[in-house]
Amino acid sequence: MVWISSRWKIVVMVGPALILFSVFVVYPVVYSMGFSLTKFQGFGTPEFIGFKNYLALADDPFFWQSLQNTIIILVVSIVLLVPLSFGLALLLRRKIPGGAGMRALVFGPAIIAPILIGLIWVFILDPKIGLINRLLAGIGIPPVQWIGGDILTPYAVSAVFIWSSIGFAMTIFYAGLQVLPEDVMEASSLDGATGWQQLRYVTVPMMRETFAIVAILLITNVFKIFELVYMLTGGGPVHRSDTLVSYMYFVTFTNQQYGSGMAIAVIVTVLSAIVSIGYLVLSRERKIA
Amino acid sequence: MTGTRSFSGTRLVAAAAAYLVTFLILLPLLWIVLLSLQPSGNILSNPFSFDSLTLQNYVNAITSLPLLQMYGNTILIALVSVTVGAAVSFMAAFAFTRMVFRRKRVQSSMRLYVLAGLAVPVYILLFPVYRLDLALGVFGTYAALILPYIAVSIPFNTLLLTGFLREFPAELEEAAIIDGAGLWRLCWSVVLPLMRPVIATILIFNVVYVFNEFPFASILINNPQMVTVSLAVSRFQGQFTVDYGGMMASATLVLLPQLIIYAIFQRQVIAGLTVGAVKG
Repeated sequence: MVWISSRWKIVVMVGPALILFSVFVVYPVVYSMGFSLTKFQGFGTPEFIGFKNYLALADDPFFWQSLQNTIIILVVSIVLLVPLSFGLALLLRRKIPGGAGMRALVFGPAIIAPILIGLIWVFILDPKIGLINRLLAGIGIPPVQWIGGDILTPYAVSAVFIWSSIGFAMTIFYAGLQVLPEDVMEASSLDGATGWQQLRYVTVPMMRETFAIVAILLITNVFKIFELVYMLTGGGPVHRSDTLVSYMYFVTFTNQQYGSGMAIAVIVTVLSAIVSIGYLVLSRERKIA
Repeated sequence: MTGTRSFSGTRLVAAAAAYLVTFLILLPLLWIVLLSLQPSGNILSNPFSFDSLTLQNYVNAITSLPLLQMYGNTILIALVSVTVGAAVSFMAAFAFTRMVFRRKRVQSSMRLYVLAGLAVPVYILLFPVYRLDLALGVFGTYAALILPYIAVSIPFNTLLLTGFLREFPAELEEAAIIDGAGLWRLCWSVVLPLMRPVIATILIFNVVYVFNEFPFASILINNPQMVTVSLAVSRFQGQFTVDYGGMMASATLVLLPQLIIYAIFQRQVIAGLTVGAVKG
């Protein structure tokens, strides 16, 4: 449509978005990368020190702890969430009275602010006042330190993440199940496939792409987990329960070690960019990009 | 006959399982509401009792929380950032798909440049944006938060809008141009009305994001008068310390409006939050 495409009109149309995006997204990314190569504590001039911040992280036990916690949350969440949410989608696809209502209720946690989810789960997981230990006490089991102890916190964070995401993942699977071609399903039933065989050899293989999409979305969301840790333990005791992002927040804003904070931020960005690019490639194949 | 019976049998098991799972997912929320209704003496000793439920915690919460201010701030920030974010993204998406650039490669590289933003996690932006807000002199104003919220919404908005426009034939627009419509009239009276569904999706997605956002708000707002809802929630533990009833009543007061709005716009919200994954 060449008639409406004078040069100044194009500038007016793309200008605001490009400027805002460049100033508040692109420039900050470059700035962070630059700062990750400096020593800077908030005053004076940043001193260029090359890759020393990255090398120092390699010797920082708290960094490795937070990386390990992130990986634990990632593995536990994905291994449990993908089958659970797929199973739930299969379950809710059956004709059950109140099915639509249940689908909406199960999705509910996805719209609650992560910070509020963290607060709510303090009252479930807290060793003294939490619901779980109260129930366990009722059947004579001594209290378990779900959060704030040495070991269990990342698993507890996974549980909360699973709770908040299961409806979201279920909804994507549900939508995928709805668009499976009717005739293929009918043909396999007519051929005498049992429910299990149909699931194993027809449904799951045909939904391979949906599985990949769900897994990738969940992985990128795990990398964003911050508020849960912030509310449940604040990363403590002594960083035992920090994730990469919460440790980055601590190093940057509490310790004001801006250089090494930005180095962690760059590492997180690279890790999640790898996953996001996978997602873009997949969605491009589905012609939405 | 056995066939029918086992059929209804599995159906019963499936229904029971579905109700159980739904109940388990709702359990944490029910627990919060129950605690919020307990008199303070009961919370530690006898939280499961239904004997002496009271609204006293809500009275305490309403008197000690600046609810109007929290919601006022959040709604103001959401309204401005979401509207402006959608508007600038729409203009860019229109240019990327409909306008004729002298060099086509400039057009497609601009589009990819913006879409690359999808891969940027907000955490890498926190500190630089804080410095940027200081340098631009907007720190301490609503713009400190509004500007980055607009910026981070642009890539996803552009993805959805260009996706929609590319699938949509331009014939109607060409007809409008022949009838003498200028660029402004074309966008406002022809293209935008056609795009209502995708615009609604974008608005919902971004409103939910801004309402729930915490990392930016925690760093870019230092004025107690300007706290957002998320920021206020993050301070409940310090504010109420051991007044668990008050804390839970406050949590319920934040949760309830969200759930009511969700109940009303359920279908649109679910579509809005899963659109990137299920469309295509």
